[in-house]
Amino acid sequence: MHRTPLALLNLIHDRKKFLTSLAGVAFAVLLMFLFNGFKNALYDSQTQLLEKFNAEIVIINRLKENMFVPRAFARRRLYQAKAFAGVEEAFAVYTSEARWKNAATKQTLPVRVIAYNPAEPVLPTADILAHQAALKLPNTALIDTRARAEVGPRETGMITELADREIRIVGTFSLGTDFAAGNGNLLMSDQNFLRYFAFRGPEEVERSFATVDLGLLKVAPGTDVPRLVKTLSDNLPQDILVLSKDGPDGFVMRERKYWEENTNIGFVFSLLTAMGFVVGIILVYQILYTDVADHWSEYATLKAMGYDNLFLFTVVMQEAIILSVFGFIPGLLVSGLFYNLAAGTTGLVFQMTLERVVSIYIMTFVMCLVSGAIAVRKVQATDPAEVFGL
Amino acid sequence: MSSLPVSPTGGPIVSSHLSAEPSVQVRSLNYCFGRGELRKQVLYDISLDLFGGHIVIMTGPSGSGKTTLLTLIGALRSVHEGSLRVMGKELVGLGSRQLVDIRRNIGFIFQSHNLFESLTACQNVEMAVELTGQLQNKRQQAIAMLEKVGLGDRVDYKPQALSGGQKQRVAIARALVNQPRLILADEPTAALDKKSGRDVVTLLQNLAREGNCTILMVTHDNRILDVADRIINLVDGRLESDESLQHFVATHDPKTLDRRMFIL
Repeated sequence: MHRTPLALLNLIHDRKKFLTSLAGVAFAVLLMFLFNGFKNALYDSQTQLLEKFNAEIVIINRLKENMFVPRAFARRRLYQAKAFAGVEEAFAVYTSEARWKNAATKQTLPVRVIAYNPAEPVLPTADILAHQAALKLPNTALIDTRARAEVGPRETGMITELADREIRIVGTFSLGTDFAAGNGNLLMSDQNFLRYFAFRGPEEVERSFATVDLGLLKVAPGTDVPRLVKTLSDNLPQDILVLSKDGPDGFVMRERKYWEENTNIGFVFSLLTAMGFVVGIILVYQILYTDVADHWSEYATLKAMGYDNLFLFTVVMQEAIILSVFGFIPGLLVSGLFYNLAAGTTGLVFQMTLERVVSIYIMTFVMCLVSGAIAVRKVQATDPAEVFGL
Repeated sequence: MSSLPVSPTGGPIVSSHLSAEPSVQVRSLNYCFGRGELRKQVLYDISLDLFGGHIVIMTGPSGSGKTTLLTLIGALRSVHEGSLRVMGKELVGLGSRQLVDIRRNIGFIFQSHNLFESLTACQNVEMAVELTGQLQNKRQQAIAMLEKVGLGDRVDYKPQALSGGQKQRVAIARALVNQPRLILADEPTAALDKKSGRDVVTLLQNLAREGNCTILMVTHDNRILDVADRIINLVDGRLESDESLQHFVATHDPKTLDRRMFIL
């Protein structure tokens, strides 16, 4: 036989109050998930394209501090790199900002164009590989279905304008937006890239195959990537930067770190998450304090009967933990819905990883414990002698 | 003041337990509230013995110190002056942790039932059994006690579904389930109607006889004075009178009744 589960029974006795309490905790959980989610989404989104690149080593212009900076480097550096032992392939990737006309509203707005030789496996995802042949046709491109709604319809077969030239959408792929992408991404062949960006007019930069925005190197299996990166850096001219793609000093982390360290996104959203935490403490404290105040004479009677402060402490703490568990679950579910909704409208990646779920639960747990610790002082201060004569 | 339970007014104390050790022994007890300038003495030189199987009713006007004396005997406050032995243990000088241990052997009944609305009658009683650590047969013990107070058919009812008298009987079951040798009751009938109040005191009386335990009851309710074996009257913190029921009835003939007794 177990002890009477006083904490649980006290909480669920008044169903309506219990549900309201859970809603309160769930709300605090939702706030923390949303703000934390936005923070992570903004960071994760910056690197989603970079992570998909099929390469171990990336070469960029030394001045390209982040993907926003439109600095290209000489294509011959790629050929130079290819001469080193261990480098199997070198792919050239071209990117450019371009004005896109929304097919429905006829408004123009900037998008990012990513171009490469479709014969090379630069972005080997199933949806892109399926349209490889179609990309070879002139004036064609693939559109990102997760581009922002402002770019208008995102369907295969539609015809609109890119950089004041007609373009035919021959397929779609799924990527999502980031700060550098503007409203969305278009994917085209390097040949088409030249058609659109070689001679755009006197005020625009002329693009050719002589300069490359990103150089991707595939290495032979079993190559020591950090050592190869070092060799390339030491031996190639200093106008480029050679980075491994993954790892703590890699290209992907560098991009993420840039946004983390050079913007206030992290601070703002961490502050908002902390506010959600504080709101939660206040809500849970109110719930627990009300329970204690409502049952003051019962708790005092327990103390008179011979229960000690530790027992009452355990009861209040159990209530706090029950609230944290049962409030977290609906909070998590609603947050999941909101994540999907937000991902759909913004094109940012909202990832609910196990690690993030666990860390938010730990925050919820601590939040409830802190509230419980504040509320319990009321019960502990209860003088059982005062129940007499009431 | 005499160390024996002899009434100051000379009334005979009838007791079959005179030879036994008293369950409560109070000697020259003084008690003050507050400190320094605000220090106010509420009990003066109280000496008293309570014996098993007796129902002792304590009366007196408001502010006479009845409740204070009750909480002192109940180990709910620390005593500093005089001597207070409860079931053979000296309470003077005990720390709060030791007082908690003393309290586990005392049954408390309050004016309001103080039952958890969220627990059934049985669970409320079980809360008391759990203090003894007997978790295996706690339900059987609680049910047996509830049957004794006449609530065998209300075991799994929540307080909401019980009448005022029934709730107070659950509270009595909770106080008595661990067979304490001392029961302290603070106006247990005040919130009840005449019949329920009568049922509750009759029940207490039977249980006290059966379990040979001492009941000390504070009450203003003159309808229930007849269950008392002894009546103690406290006025302004002093023991005014301590007499048997027969003597009390004789001296408190309605014609010569001391009105102070019934100032409510």
